Amino acid sequence: MAEALVVRGVSKRFGGLRAVADFSFSVNEGETVALIGPNGAGKTTSFNLITGYYRPDAGSITAFGRELVGLPPYEICTLGLARTFQVARPFGQMTVLANVMTGAFLRDRRPHIARERAREAIRFVGLADKENALAADLTTIDERRLEMARALATEPKLLLLDEVMAGLNPSEIDQAVGLVGQLAQRGLTIVIVEHVMRAIMAVARHIVVLDHGQKIAEGTPRTVVGNPEVIRAYLGTGYAHPHPHATD
Amino acid sequence: MVPIKTIAIVLAATILIALPLVVKNAFALDICIRVLLFAFIGVAWNLMGGYAKQLSLGHAAFFGLGAYTSTLLLIRLGISPWIGIVAGGVVAMLVSLPIGWLCFRLRGPYFAIATIAVAQVLMLLFLKLRDFAWGAEGTTLPNLGNAPLMMQFGGKAGYYWLALVLLALALAITYRIERSWMGYYLVAVGEDEDAAEAIGVNAPRIKRDVYLISAFLTALAGTFYVQYIYFIDPNTAFSFNVSVEAALVSIVGGIGTLWGPVLGTILLEPTSALLQSTLGSGRGGVQLTVYALILMAVILWRPTGLLGIFTDTYQRIARRG
Repeated sequence: MAEALVVRGVSKRFGGLRAVADFSFSVNEGETVALIGPNGAGKTTSFNLITGYYRPDAGSITAFGRELVGLPPYEICTLGLARTFQVARPFGQMTVLANVMTGAFLRDRRPHIARERAREAIRFVGLADKENALAADLTTIDERRLEMARALATEPKLLLLDEVMAGLNPSEIDQAVGLVGQLAQRGLTIVIVEHVMRAIMAVARHIVVLDHGQKIAEGTPRTVVGNPEVIRAYLGTGYAHPHPHATD
Repeated sequence: MVPIKTIAIVLAATILIALPLVVKNAFALDICIRVLLFAFIGVAWNLMGGYAKQLSLGHAAFFGLGAYTSTLLLIRLGISPWIGIVAGGVVAMLVSLPIGWLCFRLRGPYFAIATIAVAQVLMLLFLKLRDFAWGAEGTTLPNLGNAPLMMQFGGKAGYYWLALVLLALALAITYRIERSWMGYYLVAVGEDEDAAEAIGVNAPRIKRDVYLISAFLTALAGTFYVQYIYFIDPNTAFSFNVSVEAALVSIVGGIGTLWGPVLGTILLEPTSALLQSTLGSGRGGVQLTVYALILMAVILWRPTGLLGIFTDTYQRIARRG
């Protein structure tokens, strides 16, 4: 299978803080990969590095065969990588429809085409009845939906979702999991940063675990959950069991 | 049936065009011309300051460049201001490129301060250009009587119509931009630049492009103004007042809206002129104090601009009907 995204030996420091160190992972086309780790592990920093908001101190990032390091965010988006932000950033003074149309204009400058494509994305995330609402008036889950619709309107091949489920209640999480599942079925490649383990287990077949900016484990959800390194990172040394099967 | 909106537009246009044929009072006509001119500058400023929220307080730079370009061409080379006005616009566009390249790295108040500095530097430069551009003394423009080919008119009516055409041009451009992808991109950049870039908006380019358009239009106003008052000096051409008025009429009227700057100018400009003529002869500064109080009241009462009152009322009526 072809590789959609390859991150190789990427490092980023902020002053004395080593946010990401020699980080490598890759995502195959059509695959859903979850990036997990405790707070401050470097997950969002990795997203910012991939999408051009930060420039890595070392390493290379390629997507669909193109080097991304040095490109500004809007060009990376044009190449087919779309992201959402951990804290939703809607254009508050625009309507939901106008927000999503702004994304759709990337592929077609004609307003009536952009409007049509935006409506499709809005319908997909379940915001159709609120398309004329001001984005500033949306609830948390609707803001997340809007973020997703806006990203989808740019017609990405690779979608990077940064904690889209944080702060949602269980039934809202189920809805969100359903949406991500549908996108994966359409063949979209997805990288998801998430804390909600239930959601990760449901959507990802491959998990990458970060701690203090370094990759400490990688594999299927089952092997990762049983990995003593991962348990130590999340819960502390006292809980790490030498035998993975003990956690089953 | 012809829609009411079309009838209203045709009616308003007719009244506006016929106005100088009815109004013969020079003072009143002068106020009308100033309203049209400052509404025009406001609309030009609003494209960048209103839609994209790049609060420039240095648009006098382009006003002055337009004024000086056409005047230098007229006096030094005898070239008609009709050519000079376009040349001034082009000069302003060219100068906006390096200014934007420098200033757009800054955001918010820092951007505003940087633009003020640029306008001040240009003013100082023209103060020093004593041989080439008449230095601090400035110069009067040759009065050719009624010479429409040299953008000079016998009465005020000619200036009035020219200002009306300029305003219509700026409104038409804004209208087109507002409805196109560019309008969406400008507002997106104004709302959240990082989020806009995440969905493919080339923020540096859109800011540069709108700055070009805004600078071009503002320069046209500069040429018009010196042709109208027959005088130019650095303090008039690069007046900080021009920068402030451009922003003020938009903020008072409704920032980032098509008609906001027009409404703002209609309210502010005659107020300022009337206060000047009624209170100006009294104790110094009274008229400015009253003007400032009015501004404060408006901004406290209606921070998003006065246009909101009209649209709210319209929507309330529409909902009832």
